[in-house]
Amino acid sequence: MTGPFADLLIAAGVLVGLWSLVQLIVNRPLGRTLRLGVWCLEALIAVFLIGGIAQMMTTDQDFAKLEFVGYLLGMLAIPLGALWWTRTDGTRAGTAIIMVIGLVTSILVLRVQQVWAGPHG
Amino acid sequence: MDETRATHRGFGRVLVVIYALFAIAATARSVVQLSTKFSEAPVAYLLSALAAVIYIVATVALARGDRSSRRVAMAAISFELAGVLIVGTLSLALPDEFPHASVWSSFGSGYGYIPLVLPAVGLWWLRRTRPQHTSE
Repeated sequence: MTGPFADLLIAAGVLVGLWSLVQLIVNRPLGRTLRLGVWCLEALIAVFLIGGIAQMMTTDQDFAKLEFVGYLLGMLAIPLGALWWTRTDGTRAGTAIIMVIGLVTSILVLRVQQVWAGPHG
Repeated sequence: MDETRATHRGFGRVLVVIYALFAIAATARSVVQLSTKFSEAPVAYLLSALAAVIYIVATVALARGDRSSRRVAMAAISFELAGVLIVGTLSLALPDEFPHASVWSSFGSGYGYIPLVLPAVGLWWLRRTRPQHTSE
């Protein structure tokens, strides 16, 4: 869970966050391009979830597996919830929400890695 | 009611999302704690569960945004502020009584102190979106 794909997901979350911040600064409401960015982030999270569960099932490592799966499912659900909450939102608030979601995704990848490392990691 | 002053418009939409994230985080944390290690620190884990309930109530109330929901949001967020101040102070003053962290321990330091700032922002937002009464 500490490989290049996790790094890619962290970078993607930061990129969505920064992109949203730029859109906020130039006073742009939430548009189709940014929504597409969130869907791309969601696709990466889905791969991360599948890869994470596959690795969990093949390792003997001691870590909080319930918490690990919970974080992965939460990561998958959060951007979907944000897309639903902003579905009719054509304002800057929608852009700010996507900024939060991008940054939270990156933070959650780091948290997943901490859980994966276990109590002795 | 005046929709432009509703709690779920403008910045309120972002606030609802942040409260929802804390509701998810606190609920997930307390479910794991209560189901796997409740006996280790029942007070801290019950406080986590209480925080989770407060965040859920505040999220729903802010998202609904009608007049009665404003009162519920005000009560929940005021309780949240009191909770983070009391638990934060006690966890620093009596660390032996709080060996396991809750969301509000050390004023929410484990969550970047957002649990301390969030209720202040929530109360400010409720005040800012307060319906205006016009005199006849």
